[in-house]
Amino acid sequence: MTTDILEMDKMEETKKETKWKPTPIETVHPEHVDAGKVRLFKDPDWVLRMTIEGDRSYLLVKVVRAAPLTQPDRYFCILDIKDEAICMLEDLDQLEKNSHPFVFEEMERRYLTAEIESIESLQNEYGVSYWNVETNRGTREFVAKSVAEHAQWLGERRLMIFDVDGNRFEVTDIDKLDKRSQGLLESVL
Amino acid sequence: MNAIAEKPFQEIMPKAILAKLGNLNGDTIHILVATDLDAHLRYGVQWVVVTDRQVVVVPEQGDNGQIIVPIEEVKSVKVEERVGSGTLEIERKTGATVSVPYSRTMMSKFAEVADAIRQLSEDEALELPTQLEETHCHTCGKRLPEKNGVCAACLKKWETFRRIVSYMAAYPVKMVVTILLTLVSALLTLLPPKVTQYVIDGVLGSDFALVVIPFIETTDRVERLGLLISALVVVRVAIWGIEVATQWLGRSLGLRAIGDLREDLYRAFQLLPVRFYDKRKVGALVSRMTNDTDRMEGLMVYDFYFIFSNIMMFVGILGLLFWTSWELTLYVLAPIPLIIFAGTKIWYRIMGFWTRWSGKWSRLYAQLNESIHGIRVVKAFAQEEREGKRFDEHNEALMDVSVGGERLWFAFFTVTNFFMSFGVFFVWYIGGRQILNDELSLGELMAFLSYLWMLYQPLRWFGDFYSFILRAFASAQRVFEVVDGEPEPFDNPNAVRKERIDGDLKFENVYFGYDPGKPVLKGVDLDVKAGEMIGLVGKSGTGKSTLINLICRFYDPDRGQVLVDGVPMNDLALNDLRSQIGMVHQQPFLFDGTIADNIAYGNPSATFDDVIRAALAAEAHEFIVKKPDGYDMRVGERGNRLSGGEKQRISIARAILHDPRILILDEATSSLDTPTEKKIQAAIARLVEGRTTFAIAHRLSTLRSADRLVVIDEGKVAEEGSHEELMERQGIFYRLVKTQQESTAVVGVGAIEGDAAEDS
Repeated sequence: MTTDILEMDKMEETKKETKWKPTPIETVHPEHVDAGKVRLFKDPDWVLRMTIEGDRSYLLVKVVRAAPLTQPDRYFCILDIKDEAICMLEDLDQLEKNSHPFVFEEMERRYLTAEIESIESLQNEYGVSYWNVETNRGTREFVAKSVAEHAQWLGERRLMIFDVDGNRFEVTDIDKLDKRSQGLLESVL
Repeated sequence: MNAIAEKPFQEIMPKAILAKLGNLNGDTIHILVATDLDAHLRYGVQWVVVTDRQVVVVPEQGDNGQIIVPIEEVKSVKVEERVGSGTLEIERKTGATVSVPYSRTMMSKFAEVADAIRQLSEDEALELPTQLEETHCHTCGKRLPEKNGVCAACLKKWETFRRIVSYMAAYPVKMVVTILLTLVSALLTLLPPKVTQYVIDGVLGSDFALVVIPFIETTDRVERLGLLISALVVVRVAIWGIEVATQWLGRSLGLRAIGDLREDLYRAFQLLPVRFYDKRKVGALVSRMTNDTDRMEGLMVYDFYFIFSNIMMFVGILGLLFWTSWELTLYVLAPIPLIIFAGTKIWYRIMGFWTRWSGKWSRLYAQLNESIHGIRVVKAFAQEEREGKRFDEHNEALMDVSVGGERLWFAFFTVTNFFMSFGVFFVWYIGGRQILNDELSLGELMAFLSYLWMLYQPLRWFGDFYSFILRAFASAQRVFEVVDGEPEPFDNPNAVRKERIDGDLKFENVYFGYDPGKPVLKGVDLDVKAGEMIGLVGKSGTGKSTLINLICRFYDPDRGQVLVDGVPMNDLALNDLRSQIGMVHQQPFLFDGTIADNIAYGNPSATFDDVIRAALAAEAHEFIVKKPDGYDMRVGERGNRLSGGEKQRISIARAILHDPRILILDEATSSLDTPTEKKIQAAIARLVEGRTTFAIAHRLSTLRSADRLVVIDEGKVAEEGSHEELMERQGIFYRLVKTQQESTAVVGVGAIEGDAAEDS
């Protein structure tokens, strides 16, 4: 009996000692590319190309965000002409400065989201909402279905609304909208 | 902004822009369309004009900035899908690519425009669709929530109410009788205060002899009292009797009507195209069937008649009040305009609460549905706690909305009630003075006060009902959205009937995509003879399953057509087509019923002998009879009491008994162990005999019995031929086989490897 208890005590001790360590995750693809060696440039003016210094060149590349909604400023993936991943830049700082404008330009081209600045009118009929909004891209009317179900929350007060065609409208901070717009927005959420 | 043209691709261009454009050298204008984004990706307009000789892009703002691309300068043209937008990309033989941005709203339009420019540049005959899907309402011009759908903005509240009533009007006699009885009962309710007035003035009052009581001639106080009290008893009994009758009739009527509505809703769910289900959550849809119809049931079964009785009461009481003392009545009613004003102000807010309330319920349902379906995964990853938290969040959100709605309503109602009840003090004061001046009798004042209290009753009821009807309306909107959905064309009277198809199938230049501007199939041409077995091969995501979806006509091609026995599929009666297609899936879906029921699913008139024969042919008989209940064994929800191989064999038996002309085997033998697979292979070999068969399999060895292999790549038929021919060709198929050979885990590829060695 006593030995049992002693053994159990021992086991307890060893349990405390062994700290759980996560198993390292090994990856093989895409191969690691030193982001410092990546150069983006255009040649001719409408074709984005890439060179990994001292290694190889790509005649046409695409830059995409890995998580455009939650990590818009980090994790940029560079894809080749077949949409296969060449490498990923976790942080833009890793990339040499001259290439930065090309990344920004690509982001501007590829991702079109309008930021809602105020809601002029919002009507809700049969679960379908009719919006008239002022955005950073100008005035726009759009129609969305069951916003409460389909909108995506990106934070406590940050919200992405998709219209029936899949156009994207973002409210970066509900609290920053004027009171009237807030009231209208709350009425559909 | 969204110009709606009479004809597609010929939109109405503002005169100023036309002037800017000039006469285009007298070219014929084929296309004149507007974008909804300007060159700087702000909401604005650029015009794209396509003539037989050039493409012109004109910005609406600014003086110039036209881009002209002569057709012969076009090297290639395509639409590029971006996130939240798209662009028309015209690559020139020399010079920069022209890129015209537009929002996703215009995707399908510009996909057609791109194709038209391509046709012109490749000297093909220009072919533009004559009709585009309707995206905007004819009446109000607003964007439709669904293509070719119902315009939600044009549906009115009254329309919702009318439609709810129309379900009850299906039983006209019951409905009319119930309403009449309700009205009579409401009128009778108005009598007792009047009788009380006579008791006070004509029996108890000092001047009783001067008071004339209708229908009572005697002036004897005791006799009068007896008669008046008897009248009160009679009225009370009558009201009670009528109420019982109303409830008796009304409930059965309401329940029948709601039953009909549920039936319609379920039918709609069954008949809606697969596309409807693509982007919706099952739980949320189930919630429309349960919660939303429940709300409507409340309205139709319990509250509907009260609308009539309370309106009747309200009007009646108001009349009597005015009749008794119009002066006093005016005092009492003074706050009403204010209440009506506040009521209309608050309507939308409360309506909003109840719409959100329904939405929150859907989310709760959806999550519940998901976590129960995925309970094994939840448990395997020990995430019960987190799922619980997620549920709590949804539940709390639901609670918040309910509390918010109730509170708002409660606040509104108590405040109005408070003001309304102030009327009583006025009445006592002014009425009391009128009595002192002999302008009013005590009985009249008492009757007035009774009526006043009674007036609050329908008002209070309307209060409660108001909030309730709003909830029911919000629910009704969600239910009717489904009921009104465009069903599949099952009852097209012009459809070609074909009770027995041969099974010839032909794809002619078929284009199809689930989302506009994102084609999955890009010009598929395929000719399949009746009875042929086709193995569909290709990397995942290349369009094999999409091809199958088109064969089943779950979707219609965007362009091109599919012919069955030489008849365009769209002209063929849908029921005739589907009833002759059989499917065996990788994960067969069985219904909760007995094994025999499931085997006979596609052919309910089959005899038990047929069922056994089918099971024998499917190599299923053996394992079925080993079960304690044999063919009578209940398989459980989705067949979860059976193993994967067992389910598969039952689904093969089901297909055999269904006796289809076209058979689809979608990964029918994957994820099975080798002995089971051998049995199933034998069963399948029997099944495919004499039927046009399409088989998809990742394990290429399972397609060895196919007459022909068709390799799909990039949405097109890339290679076609027997397995030997394709191996010799050393193309995509060859590479696929090689890849499989390299992965040692794949069973059965050795056979192909052997073949390949023999071939070479």
